[in-house]
Amino acid sequence: MSSDSSTLLNSRVPGGPIEQKWDSFKRDQKLVAPNSRRKYEVIVVGTGLAGAAAAASLAEMGYKVKVFCFQDSPRRAHSIAAQGGINAAKNYHNDGDSVWRLFVDTVKGGDFRAREANVYRLAQLSENIIDQCVAQGVPFAREYGGTLANRTFGGTQVSRTFYARGQTGQQLLIGAYQALMRQVAGGNATLYARREMLDLVTVDGVARGIVCRNLTTGKIESHAAHAVLLCTGGYGNVFYLSTNAKGCNVTAAWRAHKRGALFGNPCYTQIHPTCIPVTGDHQSKLTLMSESLRNDGRVWVPKQANDPRTPSQIPEGERDYYLERRYPAYGNMVPRDVASRAAKERCDAGYGVGSSKLSVYLDFSRAIKEQGEAAIRGKYGNLFHMYQKITDENPYQSPMRIYPAVHYTMGGLWVDYHLESTIPGMFVLGEANFSDHGANRLGASALMQGLADGYFIAPYTVSNHLASRKLPEVTDAHPRFREVAEEARMRLQRLLSIDGKRSVDSYHRELGQIMWNYCGMSRNAAGLNTAIGKITSLREDFWRNVNVPGVGENLNQSLELGGRVADFLEFGELMCRDALAREESAGGHFREEHQTADNEAKRDDEKFAHVAAWEYLGEGTQEKRHVEPLTFEFCPLQVRNYK
Amino acid sequence: MSWLLATLRSSVGKKFVMGGTGLFLCFFLVVHLAGNLLLYAGPDAYNSYANKLHENVALLIVAEIGLFGAMLLHIYLAFVTASENRAARGATDYAMRQSKIPGRVIHVAGLAPDTTMYITGALIFGYIALHLCDFKFEVFADAAQLAADPYTKAAMVLSSTSRKVIYAIAAIVVGIHVSHGFASAFQSLGLNHPKYMPTIKTISKVFGVAVAIGFGSFVTWDGQRRCGCESPATMETAPTTMPSTAPAAATESAPAPTTPAETVPQS
Amino acid sequence: MSHSTTGKTLNLKLRVWRQKDNASRGEFRDYALVGISTEMSFLEMLDILNEQLLQQGEEPVNFDHDCREGICGTCSLMINGQAHGPDNGTTTCQLHMRRFHDGQMITIEPWRAKAFPVIRDLVVDRSAFDRIIQAGGYVSVRTGQAPEANSVPISKNDQESALDAAVCIGCGACVASCKNASAMLFVAAKVSHLAQLPQGAPERAARVLGMVGQMDSEEFGNCTNTSECEAACPAGVSVTHIARLNREYAKALYGSPLGLKGELLTSSGTGGD
Repeated sequence: MSSDSSTLLNSRVPGGPIEQKWDSFKRDQKLVAPNSRRKYEVIVVGTGLAGAAAAASLAEMGYKVKVFCFQDSPRRAHSIAAQGGINAAKNYHNDGDSVWRLFVDTVKGGDFRAREANVYRLAQLSENIIDQCVAQGVPFAREYGGTLANRTFGGTQVSRTFYARGQTGQQLLIGAYQALMRQVAGGNATLYARREMLDLVTVDGVARGIVCRNLTTGKIESHAAHAVLLCTGGYGNVFYLSTNAKGCNVTAAWRAHKRGALFGNPCYTQIHPTCIPVTGDHQSKLTLMSESLRNDGRVWVPKQANDPRTPSQIPEGERDYYLERRYPAYGNMVPRDVASRAAKERCDAGYGVGSSKLSVYLDFSRAIKEQGEAAIRGKYGNLFHMYQKITDENPYQSPMRIYPAVHYTMGGLWVDYHLESTIPGMFVLGEANFSDHGANRLGASALMQGLADGYFIAPYTVSNHLASRKLPEVTDAHPRFREVAEEARMRLQRLLSIDGKRSVDSYHRELGQIMWNYCGMSRNAAGLNTAIGKITSLREDFWRNVNVPGVGENLNQSLELGGRVADFLEFGELMCRDALAREESAGGHFREEHQTADNEAKRDDEKFAHVAAWEYLGEGTQEKRHVEPLTFEFCPLQVRNYK
Repeated sequence: MSWLLATLRSSVGKKFVMGGTGLFLCFFLVVHLAGNLLLYAGPDAYNSYANKLHENVALLIVAEIGLFGAMLLHIYLAFVTASENRAARGATDYAMRQSKIPGRVIHVAGLAPDTTMYITGALIFGYIALHLCDFKFEVFADAAQLAADPYTKAAMVLSSTSRKVIYAIAAIVVGIHVSHGFASAFQSLGLNHPKYMPTIKTISKVFGVAVAIGFGSFVTWDGQRRCGCESPATMETAPTTMPSTAPAAATESAPAPTTPAETVPQS
Repeated sequence: MSHSTTGKTLNLKLRVWRQKDNASRGEFRDYALVGISTEMSFLEMLDILNEQLLQQGEEPVNFDHDCREGICGTCSLMINGQAHGPDNGTTTCQLHMRRFHDGQMITIEPWRAKAFPVIRDLVVDRSAFDRIIQAGGYVSVRTGQAPEANSVPISKNDQESALDAAVCIGCGACVASCKNASAMLFVAAKVSHLAQLPQGAPERAARVLGMVGQMDSEEFGNCTNTSECEAACPAGVSVTHIARLNREYAKALYGSPLGLKGELLTSSGTGGD
């Protein structure tokens, strides 16, 4: 395994005290004058929180923005499904919160695998986000006095999470979507819905546009620009079963990776502890139950293994509230990675409940007794409703059954402090980049990052790129566009022409099973090697035996899925290789070989306090691992302890 | 004048006009019913009311223009919106439709007031034509009836069995129409409030029943016997005119005919 | 309740609308499915159908779906004549097969409205909704221009009531279920959301006039207050918001300079390609 501390990975973090780095960037950046902005075109791919916010903000500044999404409307992006809330260091609860504390919590929550300067900036901007969203008319929960309400989330000891019932992501996304629609109406942004990005076009090494497929007509389209922003979300669907939307995919990021963008920390995936358990082989996706439920719900399993009794028959004394037992300081509010592993540990040891024995109880009986059913309904009504819809069980009467599920990916395309990838002119925002969450993301931080990147960082750094680089005039008539479009067309043709026996979906399921078994909540070297072998042969079989019906010239959902799964089949291998190379346990990455006596994750700061970023070297060649060392000047390295 | 055009052209503006004219016609129904109830008080009371009404010719003309205007606008917009609504579904209709409102059945036989406004409206329109012929234009009146006093006139018209049946049915249809239309007008005019809307809906239903019973009761009224005109053959003449226009359709809704493609829901 | 249904299976007859593209004529085709678990969601049942069609050499049924947890608003479907199927407050992706019985015939159609043209099979084009939002469904505030969030207190009641409207997921079930294919509930949800918040106040007249104008030019039908939209709405948006829309429209049309001048009364969509 080759690992270079590479000159490719220049993080471009400004010098000086951490509190002043962002100001210092802004002081030194180059600007584009208002009258010149309309000469610049910017492509934004993806319309989640990061994409919609960036597109709206850049268009408002006067740039000509072209915004793309594969969904039928920008409002569908999966940010919409975020339930619990968004963090901000407002200290409205007077409980000792500050930008510094949010910064420290996030670095620590990420198990010291994030870049300090990025995290500090995120904490600083968190306050502006709340102001911005409130001004857009986002109806955040309020106190009776009319001020904003907060709740507590995992991994923190303060109340800093702003929320709108159990649908905060929806309200924030609608806010950003409306801001974007305003720009579309004003003519500065043009919307291209039902478009899937198939490739990135670089000219002289600089990102100058994209090739995409019009999913309605099947037409391959080329779009040139002066900058390309990928805001295309995470790759959790490599596991097939995840809490991601069915359409979430790695294609845009993976195509850009193959064009030269390094991929950072692909092995870091977040397994969310509170999801509705799998019921059968037919299952197509998993549903999250917000982490906020752990504020009032208590997690337990029976003390007796394989206990056949129903939960109500098990007396208090025979219940094992294992999170409260193992982590008395944080109790049910430990970070996600810790809670997930603890649930897996109990189930693996035979204490699981439900027909599959792969679930634990999340019990609200005490909270209902203390606060009344109405209060609980007020806080979590829609979540309880959703749980009942899916399981046909009433969580007001019997405890929910939950189990961890793939939820978020901390890894992503490597970006510097400017959120610019190793391809100049290509920026990566939100979940699609690797930057702020290290090896584990704290609850209510994804929304914060997406909006910080989109509203408050990209507008500055993209302007700096446009103002400081010489960008010769390039249109979609440039030969590079024709070449890349032709490659994309050939690839689709190849998928359509195989005419084999197996559906795309069946390959996707099989890949997911491999990833979950060997590269899921816990990993080991032997398993990862097995996985790499299995993925390689599955990929070969896919290109021989997949059946993608229909034609390319109209709406063809099988073809869309075929392209995405083909990319997952390549990406899954890289994930395993990254997990194999990282010989330590950190956050969401748990290597069985590296744990303490009481089964806690054991980091190796000597050897692995770095970002691993992978470089694509061509078909059939193993990718090259580059390293960006991480230093912790301001939040000193320590062992995470939630006990 | 563009705000006026917008009122007649925009979908929401049209609803204001439908609701406004509907409520105005509801108000007329109340006045009309109150006047008619004087029939029960006997010939003197009723005749003096009718004559007083006709003494003020200017007022009468203004009122009649207002009523006809409201009715024509109401009907015109019903046609316009109904045709727009049919077009809005597109070229292909559903093969099957079921309501998601508990207890409601969508199909031709399910006469929910709010989905049959177009049908009840059309019936009322036909009835109004007849009613005006009977009382205002006195198309079918013989010399005796033309000469009769208002009280006797009413008795003469209502003495016919066919009229009894038609007027009774019409009263019920008007009742159905206003039972949705009255509450609906409040919604269209934006006067819906979570606190008061249930009350308004109840009032609307009570109003519908009151209209049906109130106007319907006149077919059982015994004025014929009192003035000795039990059968059409015995009608006598009396000189006067009849005050009434007609009970007009009172709704703000834009009813569309029930689509033939809507089928009986499955269990 | 509980797990009594685990392991139960159904045999079903499906009658599915198939249409190659917008220009082609569509038709119903009948399919039989056996051994469908009652634990499946409706869309998972369609996944099984598609797997079966693929094996039989027929093209799978295209249908819109994404989050499969009831919030993105992508899934649609008229199921036995009901938008999102028989359950109230539920999207098709959250509808489960335990709601159906063995041997049942299920008719599946796309949303039908002139403003929602069919793209293929069960997939329709709902971009009219985006154009309606473009016509005023926003607060004009520049990024970075916002005052401190707590500087404008909002009563809990107003915030909750605004959120009751803002929960709209933009799925189009209101249009699909309305006998007039009216989009009033969708438009009302946005107007009512922003009209109840101080942030939305400065543009309220322009918003309601613009959005209603756009709604009309998209050729949605008129509201006749039958409340079918409310019953079909998976997010539980109430028709009281339509009344608020009507009120806002009256205020804007007769009480604001914008309305009296007749500006914004008809608008044409911008954006898109």
